[in-house]
Amino acid sequence: MDRMKNRLDALWVEYREATPDPEAGPNFMPQLWQKIEVRRVETTSVFRRLAKIFVMATVTLALVMGAMLIPHGRITNDEVFYSGTYVDALAAEHSNDYVDVLAAADLR
Amino acid sequence: MLVDFELIERARSGDDSAFNQVVQAYRKRILGTIARLIGRPEDVEDVGQEVFLRLYFSLDQLRTAEVFEPWLYRLTVNAAYDYLRRQRRRHESRMSDLSEQQVMMADAAAGGKVNVEEIRRTKIRETVDDLLGKISEEDRILLTLKEVEGLSLKELEKIYKVNENALKVRLFRARQRVLKAYEAGEPDAGG
Repeated sequence: MDRMKNRLDALWVEYREATPDPEAGPNFMPQLWQKIEVRRVETTSVFRRLAKIFVMATVTLALVMGAMLIPHGRITNDEVFYSGTYVDALAAEHSNDYVDVLAAADLR
Repeated sequence: MLVDFELIERARSGDDSAFNQVVQAYRKRILGTIARLIGRPEDVEDVGQEVFLRLYFSLDQLRTAEVFEPWLYRLTVNAAYDYLRRQRRRHESRMSDLSEQQVMMADAAAGGKVNVEEIRRTKIRETVDDLLGKISEEDRILLTLKEVEGLSLKELEKIYKVNENALKVRLFRARQRVLKAYEAGEPDAGG
């Protein structure tokens, strides 16, 4: 067992010597910068795509919320619908007040 | 450190020429480590470029320039690990594939141009690559960093982000497994 262990240890050393650090080829740096550029463009386009999806989702959500909150075509006969101004509404509400006052004066 | 902290700081802040200098300083060492980790000379530059590509896009996450080297080694280990896993999957579908090194040696031998020393070296490389191919990618990388690259336990701790005891256990188990594979592959392993 120990003999095998020693042989294995020697083999590691021999392997280290048999595999010296290789020199990079002349295209190493240009290819690296090319890859960096490609990755940069990819990252930008991913962000752009995400931004588009986000905008679309926001518009859709706004339309859906608008459709839910604006009450159109659901007004029944029981519901009061005012088309006049606030003053018109007040006048309509108290239209009998004058009649009551006049009637009381007649009794005297 | 092969470069000073200031250069790393400049590269970290987006200076491309500083990054270029950092790559040039570490290129040879990293390519050597990759060559010994993956055992296929024809793919060393590709994996090396992947390491520096990852470095470029992760430099802003580096806390301080002092931890640059373990950080770079971790990127190297991760890229080698990814490569070995891909290679194992590919290897399962193309068992007869020869490495460029083997093809070159076969061509040279056929032409009678190869010297004895080169044959010996190639045999050692093949023996160790074959041996490392019999254990897991994790064991292969850990053993190569410790036994071949000669990294200390302290350096390995920083790369693996585990404590010394956990690392010793991992190393012990990896050594046992590789020894077992070595014994199984040696014809005179009986004594």
